[in-house]
Amino acid sequence: MNFKNIIVYWRTVLVVAEITLRHQMNDSFILFAVLFQPVIIAVLALFMLKDTGPNAAMFVVVGSGLTGLWSSLLFISGNSISSERWQGTLESLVGVPTPFEVIVFGKNLANVVQSLLSMVVAYLLAALFFGYSLHLDQPLLFLASVLLSVLAFISFGLIIAPIFVMYREVQQWQNAMEYPVYILAGFLFPILLLPGWTTPLSYMLPPYWAAIALHGTSTTNAPIQQTLFAWGMMLVFSIIDLFIASRLFKIMLYKARVDATLDVQ
Amino acid sequence: MNAIEVKNLRRVFRARIGVFRRSIKEVVAVDDISFAIETGELFGLLGPNGAGKTTTVKMLATLLIPTNGTAAVLGKDVVGDANEVRKHIGFIFGGERGLYWRLSGIDNLRYFASLYGVQPEVSKKRIPYLLEMVGLKDRGNERVEGYSRGMKQRLHVARTLLHDPDILFLDEPTIGLDPVGAREFRQVIRDLQSEKKTILLTTHYMFEADSLCERVGVIDKGLIVALDSPSELKRHVADLSVIEVETFGASAESLERLEALPFVDSLSVRDNDQRQMLLIQTPRGAEAVPDIMASLDGQRVGRVLVREPTLEDAYVRLVGGRV
Repeated sequence: MNFKNIIVYWRTVLVVAEITLRHQMNDSFILFAVLFQPVIIAVLALFMLKDTGPNAAMFVVVGSGLTGLWSSLLFISGNSISSERWQGTLESLVGVPTPFEVIVFGKNLANVVQSLLSMVVAYLLAALFFGYSLHLDQPLLFLASVLLSVLAFISFGLIIAPIFVMYREVQQWQNAMEYPVYILAGFLFPILLLPGWTTPLSYMLPPYWAAIALHGTSTTNAPIQQTLFAWGMMLVFSIIDLFIASRLFKIMLYKARVDATLDVQ
Repeated sequence: MNAIEVKNLRRVFRARIGVFRRSIKEVVAVDDISFAIETGELFGLLGPNGAGKTTTVKMLATLLIPTNGTAAVLGKDVVGDANEVRKHIGFIFGGERGLYWRLSGIDNLRYFASLYGVQPEVSKKRIPYLLEMVGLKDRGNERVEGYSRGMKQRLHVARTLLHDPDILFLDEPTIGLDPVGAREFRQVIRDLQSEKKTILLTTHYMFEADSLCERVGVIDKGLIVALDSPSELKRHVADLSVIEVETFGASAESLERLEALPFVDSLSVRDNDQRQMLLIQTPRGAEAVPDIMASLDGQRVGRVLVREPTLEDAYVRLVGGRV
């Protein structure tokens, strides 16, 4: 891929993301996954932690935002290819010169950016309804953590979507994958509270490293080494995920063209 | 120079059947077909439902991998050079699917212009031009879900032309359109033809193929059974006349009797509620009418017409009476 292609593809990613956001604005399921569910989680957690101070509230704000990110990734990005197939647009997308993974990257970018909205809503909820005075411990590092988390989530989503298309039996477990990741990735409470044997599972999840970086820079005033390590892990996972995704997309598209499954028969 | 070359193309679909004792059923959709389309030619692929038209187009449009054989578009292989082929082709599959209904027409075009790598400054001019060309200039800002079927089809045409492709695959583009919409759509195809685009049009409307195509390939059960200009194809039935007989509730026995008459070359039946239109091809012309009426003895018969054969009649003869 040369530099000119990167510029063209990046422009395409931005257009795809913008149009995907417009297209999804009226989708009630997306509003539920991105807005209502994280808000419900935030309200419950804020009530539970209401006497524990603003740090706990900030933890809840970031944590409920992360739940929105994961749910959006799992359901919206995970289904992004099969939903195109059902609405009859998959053939039109595969039949263009832009690589299909670039298109799905743009769609995932839209989903992830959109789900960051849940963090903003949870923040407003904590500040306006629960009266917390919230502030970020390390705003610049937090912003950098958000950007890296977006990359890590998008890259992870690029693996999930083709796996769901190729292995329908995995997709059947989609609902069962939502809450375990909330817990294992430490979105709403530290994984230290979990049994020791679950820790390696947490380390293997990119959302866990996103939670470490975001919680560490927003509330716990974590040492810079811990944040840098989490960033490094997110970068490593993103590179690995992008590499695996590029292979998965090639296999999936070839198989779909052999099996005639680009369109619903 | 040939824009499209197809050599011994074959496509087999495999479907799993059964619940407990699963087996694989093979269906040959396209069976060893070969043809070539010249640059700037409007070529028609004509055949009944399930003949293999759409499968052929999908292989040429890089959306299906052939089981055997090769196909090249502008000299590029549709499997090995799929991405290169995609830069030069546009395709429409009949029906309303393939667009984002919750987006406006303009947003749909912006989206696909980006996916075809059209520069933003080019698409800014091209999108209004195309909307005007397909008669959607005043409706471009409306959501596609509010469009009629014909408008959606015309938006498909605009989408297909965004990157100004050299080759167009139009798969039954007028299916489901009302007569006015279909006529307008055929005019769009004529306009594209005058721009020297190479067009592969599939249809099962004979008059459409007759009025638009320079050459027509008749495909049946995955095989090309004839390939020629519409006028040459009509010569297949030049020695015949067609007798149209309108009947009301004709029995299977009477139709069998009719088909068994020695001078009946082929018989096809079009059902329309309680009414059937029998299309009888015969070399005897009007002289055959009394014998035909005799074999329909006891049946209620309406209008009877003797006429010259059309491309449709040639087609009926080629595909053995199935329309």
